[in-house]
Amino acid sequence: MKTRIIYFSLIFLMSLGACTDLDVEPNDLVTADAVLTDVNAYQSFLAKLYAGFSVSGQQGPAGNADIKGYDEGSYQYLRLYWKLQELSTEEAIVAWADGNLPKINTQEWTDDNEFVAGLFDRLFYQISLANEFLRESTSAKLSSKGFSEGEISAVAQFRAEARFIRALVYWHAIDLYANVPFATEEDALGAEAPSQATRQEVFNYIDSELQAIESQLAEPKSVGYYGRADKGALWALQAKLYLNSEVYTGVSRYTECITACNKIINSSAYQLTANYQNNFQADNHNSPEMIFAATFDGQNTQTYGGTTFIIHASVGGSMSPENYGINSGWGGLRVRRELVNLFDDPSGLTDSRALFFTEGQSLNISDVSSFTDGYACVKFTNITSDGNPGSDAVFTDTDFPIFRLADVYLMYAEAVLRGGAGGDQATALSYINSLRQRAYGNNSGEIALGDMSLDFILDERARELYWEGHRRTDLVRFEKFTTGATWQWKGGVEGGMTTESFRDVYPIPSGQLIANPKLTQNTGY
Amino acid sequence: MLSFIHAFSQERNLSGKVYDENNEPMPGASVIIKGTTQGTVTNIDGEFRIVLSSDQTTIVVSYIGYKSKEIEVGTQSQIDVRLELDQETLDEVIVVGYGTQEKSDLTGVVTSVDSKNFNAGAITSPDNLIAGKVAGVQITPSSGEPGGQVSVRIRGGTSITASNEPLFVIDGVPIDNSAHNPGGFSRGRNPLNFLNPDDIENITVLKDASAAAIYGARGANGVIIINTKKGDGSGKITYNGYVSMANLATDHDMLSADAFRNVVTAKQPNKLNLLGNNNTDWYDQILQTGIGHNHYLSFSGGGKNSNFRFSLGHQDIEGIVQKSRTQRTSLSTNFSKSFFDDRLNINANIKAAYTKDKFDANPIGAALAFDPTQKIFDSENNALGGYFEYPISILAPDNPVSLNDQTQDVGDNIRNIGNIQLEYKLPYIEGLSAKANLGYDMTFGERKRFKPNTLRNQATSDSGEVKIENYKRINPLFNFYFNYKRDLPSINSNLDVTAGYEYQDFKSDYPSYRAYGLSTNAFGFYSAFSARNSEAFNTNEENRLISFFGRVNYSLHDKYLLTFTLRRDGSSRFGENNRWGLFPSVAIGWRLIEEDFMSFLQPTFSDLKLRFAYGVTGSQEIGNYLYLSTYEAGQSTAAIQQGNQFINTLRPNGYDANIKWEETNSLNIGLDFALLDGKLGGSLEYYQKNTKDLLFEVGVASGSNLSNRVVTNIGEMQNSGVELALDAFVIDQKDLSWNLGFNASYNKNEIKALDQSNEPDFEGYLAGGIAGGTGNNVQILRVGESVNTFYVYEHIVDPATGNPVSDNVDFNGDGIIDQADMYRDTNGDGGVNSEDRRPYKNANPDVILGLTSSLTYKDFDLNLTLRSNIGNYVYNNIASDNGYYNKLANGEGYINNIHESVLESGYQSAQFFSDYYVENASFLRMDNITLGYRVRQLSNIDLRVYATMQNLFVLTNYTGMDPEVGYTNRNSDAIGGLGIDDKPYPKARTILFGVNLSF
Repeated sequence: MKTRIIYFSLIFLMSLGACTDLDVEPNDLVTADAVLTDVNAYQSFLAKLYAGFSVSGQQGPAGNADIKGYDEGSYQYLRLYWKLQELSTEEAIVAWADGNLPKINTQEWTDDNEFVAGLFDRLFYQISLANEFLRESTSAKLSSKGFSEGEISAVAQFRAEARFIRALVYWHAIDLYANVPFATEEDALGAEAPSQATRQEVFNYIDSELQAIESQLAEPKSVGYYGRADKGALWALQAKLYLNSEVYTGVSRYTECITACNKIINSSAYQLTANYQNNFQADNHNSPEMIFAATFDGQNTQTYGGTTFIIHASVGGSMSPENYGINSGWGGLRVRRELVNLFDDPSGLTDSRALFFTEGQSLNISDVSSFTDGYACVKFTNITSDGNPGSDAVFTDTDFPIFRLADVYLMYAEAVLRGGAGGDQATALSYINSLRQRAYGNNSGEIALGDMSLDFILDERARELYWEGHRRTDLVRFEKFTTGATWQWKGGVEGGMTTESFRDVYPIPSGQLIANPKLTQNTGY
Repeated sequence: MLSFIHAFSQERNLSGKVYDENNEPMPGASVIIKGTTQGTVTNIDGEFRIVLSSDQTTIVVSYIGYKSKEIEVGTQSQIDVRLELDQETLDEVIVVGYGTQEKSDLTGVVTSVDSKNFNAGAITSPDNLIAGKVAGVQITPSSGEPGGQVSVRIRGGTSITASNEPLFVIDGVPIDNSAHNPGGFSRGRNPLNFLNPDDIENITVLKDASAAAIYGARGANGVIIINTKKGDGSGKITYNGYVSMANLATDHDMLSADAFRNVVTAKQPNKLNLLGNNNTDWYDQILQTGIGHNHYLSFSGGGKNSNFRFSLGHQDIEGIVQKSRTQRTSLSTNFSKSFFDDRLNINANIKAAYTKDKFDANPIGAALAFDPTQKIFDSENNALGGYFEYPISILAPDNPVSLNDQTQDVGDNIRNIGNIQLEYKLPYIEGLSAKANLGYDMTFGERKRFKPNTLRNQATSDSGEVKIENYKRINPLFNFYFNYKRDLPSINSNLDVTAGYEYQDFKSDYPSYRAYGLSTNAFGFYSAFSARNSEAFNTNEENRLISFFGRVNYSLHDKYLLTFTLRRDGSSRFGENNRWGLFPSVAIGWRLIEEDFMSFLQPTFSDLKLRFAYGVTGSQEIGNYLYLSTYEAGQSTAAIQQGNQFINTLRPNGYDANIKWEETNSLNIGLDFALLDGKLGGSLEYYQKNTKDLLFEVGVASGSNLSNRVVTNIGEMQNSGVELALDAFVIDQKDLSWNLGFNASYNKNEIKALDQSNEPDFEGYLAGGIAGGTGNNVQILRVGESVNTFYVYEHIVDPATGNPVSDNVDFNGDGIIDQADMYRDTNGDGGVNSEDRRPYKNANPDVILGLTSSLTYKDFDLNLTLRSNIGNYVYNNIASDNGYYNKLANGEGYINNIHESVLESGYQSAQFFSDYYVENASFLRMDNITLGYRVRQLSNIDLRVYATMQNLFVLTNYTGMDPEVGYTNRNSDAIGGLGIDDKPYPKARTILFGVNLSF
């Protein structure tokens, strides 16, 4: 009996041993096949592409970062883009000595600058996500999942928007880094390191992509499309691309630039907002001149980058944070005197675009690390147009304009002056004067045709668009970023000095040269 | 005396006493009536009493490691027995995976440390018990925190990213030894803290593949088998207790208030108005004298066929940083019983512990950097708890004292490991037995933190926060195996065959919530009801391991030994194509001393054995689901506006569908020897371990994956080395004995291949993240170099001063001040850029030495452990991150303290990549020294009193606080690298007084 019990037990125990099931699937994560089952899921995936400009990960404000190895909040897309586009110019300077950040102020960066590397990682993170979206949303894939025709066409529009986002990011990539790795949805994920494409090749690719998707995007300012790319955004990007074509390819395309500007202007979808400052306030999503924006929200879109960074970092010294809708200043960002001096009157009483805080601040910057050296800038605030603070005192509601109508006016004028066809100087002058009229509140700021030189345009771009992430690109186009001009602390000396022209583009980060042996460093680095 | 025997008719009593070779009484010796399973064990005085029936005239007395003795008692009623050491087997039966082996039969590299040789002191976790005791085993605490995490490396790490920690097996249960490090908190404590060191009988280290291959996919980093004390029927009660006192061992190197004033006056005179009038050593202000105490009570007994043991322990150790503390209440029971004429044996263990941890708020970095001229308190600053703080409208550091005082951060943890082992000797086939082991390892815990709205960092963001993460881990285990053990005298052979199956599942849940925007501080951890905002999460992890294993031990003439093992493991962590792995090993041993032609050695040598082993082991200690393309939903606070609504996002994660095991092929050649009647014994080993398919989280080529870093298989690595272990009875007299244990090991690590190394321009992968800037790395993984090799510029030394050239000097006289003035153009391209960084030294020691000395003179004993690492380098990150003048004014409205190295270097801006900060950190440390006295005057009571000093001294040239730097970085999520000294929890010097009592 005993023996039988024992043997029975043995058989029982051995039967437990028959288990060889090793399929263990996660519960709090889902696989692509399990989640991408309806249009809403694709919309959430697409939303991630848009969110890539605004937030740093899946947890707001921080905690589950998209890119690894960095301080999450400092390495948000727009924050990095803003630093590389603005701190390197006369428009801005930062007090903080975080790692190699001061080297951006002074154009002394090297290829192991972590901010240069961080933006590179961010750009290609966006590109990879867009590629994955396109791989996962082919009509063949959707059909095999049983999507209806209507659903497939809804996703097809998402695809066009994903391609737009990818084109926009590739434009940032060639603008900042010139010759960059190039991958599309045709390249399998994780298979091989991408090859390096020339600026020209990527330029052509962006150009062809934008033409291919133009008809699929929504009409300008379609209802319910705020924050998403429509035809207006596409034309604005085309205008940018063609305006800078000579820098990227050596061939000028000002006529195409004017064509794109005309499409925007003639669509009549956009008007200048009456009050310049309304473009940079907590409710600036209402601004009729906004063409495409990176959106932020104190409750729903929280980040330490974006306008939260710009607004907090520009408050310090004797400024009261609550005047700007925030609870604290981070004491970092100011403007350099060369920007201030572009205004006839920095008080803002004459030209309302001169939004500087001067009390206790000196115009001259003798100590970069001292916030009170250099005027503070209050262009961006977390206050609504009717004077109320935004929904949160830490995280701002203010959206960041990527493209707005004023920029299009200035691009039109510049392209005309540079010899593009399809526009005329009189129209250009009327556009410029409409900006100046708004700025001055009357026609005292208007200029005559004879005043409308290219140099004037460059200065006017600074007055109108400072701190909006355009300056480095503009200066490079005017050959004034490195060799042709100086400003305080450029080159690392207080009075400023010219730098070598190879700095018109940033270096390919050293970590990428290691990870991808197919890459060649930009000349000079 | 607890054992008793029912009296039957015609029976008689036999009593007696058992002595050892030194004529000391032997408790716990087994006394069996020959031909039966009846018997008893001796009590603490070595005495036994047994009842014999009239036809029973022979008893067998035995004890592990001693020769069994058969005694014809005739009609005697009183008998004394003296057992002799079994020199031939050198005593030991060693627990190997799924069974035991006699030491003389071992073919693999196995070292066992007995409880009497454990390190002394206020020790919380078992791994610290054997630091310095075993050749080739490096035990490095990650910090000086009480009960802090520890890293254990056996013969160097085999991996870069995957865990290098060995597998821990406790009483036959392989455990999940990963620490709980909830996001947003500082790191958790050592997961082994639940096991009371006083409960441990011995710790066995399986070092080579032959020994570890039976654990297959988890064996590549070696295996540590912990056996707890078992009931011995002695009826003994023991009490161990101590009190301890810990203080900071070495002070920091930041500027004093006076020196700081001078520097600010000289370098930032326009900021003098920011200075205060006080002299505050912030670091000192967050420290305390850590008081600890420990109590342990155990009780052991048994009956005719059964034994039990029960123990209760309580430990309470304060750290030297205020608030940090660990408390443990542990309970352990063991019960064994045999049935059916000893055919069925049941052994049950339950170990349970409740640990209560308190954490400091990690004020160390702030305490180092905070302006030493400021006051601590400001009675008028009621909004911020009465502490001095900078205005909340500026971005400035928090007062470290306020931060630490006001933050509450605690962890509770209940861990329970239990198993039942059944062994059944099958009838009909002699030597065949079946063994089953059913067990579980369960952990329930909670980590919670309360930040009142009077903290400065709360005033600027959340205005009060409660954050709680619970966790639950349930790991059931089942294994079943047959063992066939047979002597084959006809062919002079012994055969021992084992074959079995194992199933283990690891499942965990982590529900958590965070509530913030508190309207009141009054309810502490229980303030969530008053929160304006909250968020909740629940994450979940699971993995499963299924295995088949077998082992054959064969010995011929007791001279030629052969071991063959094979394990097939399946792991849910890998995709279909890479899921199953096969891990074989073979080993041979040759007991040279038994050969006739070696007989000339006989009078001197008592043992000489040559061993050779080769085997394959694996490592699967990476995260779960890495092979799957997964999507992660975004929170509602990271949503994005699309039209008039906010859409929650969906993110695809980076992955490598083809990820596979790391596989280590290892070779070992060893020689065991004993001479002078066993007075000197030891072993010499040579090994080589080649690991392929190394897993590493690499920076991927941009555009090729869905993250900038992905875990993937990238290359091959080799560890090779030599180990020597010696044990000597230097003096062995009645009143004076001196025992010395010495071990030395040399290991060389080299990366042999990386996947991209066929590309001529491939430099390697960056590693070793530091504090300072962001995303900065100072180490490189490069073919031909060791892991943890630093990758830095060669800093030019000014011969005039002997100091490195500062960054504001045109040293090369070319009219420009740039990197070329400071750093050598190592690649000779005429300029200095990142390509001039070069591999320079590495963080791994070349040689590790350990010395254990036990001296007994009459009733006094003196024990000490010395430990040394030679050739290990450390990057002084505290100096590099604080030792430059721009750091003074790295912000507006406040000023930072800086590191005294700046007085020598004169750096204006940070020089993170200078080899100036890479220092030789070789050291010799007196880990612990104990003086004990045995009080003999008390009859029946064995009392010993002792005093111990831990970390008495460290000899080193390293200029930082402590040369032994852990692997893990407490302060950041950057890829930690060994050898980066970044604001660690400081090391303590501890003095302790204790008693051991038994009766």
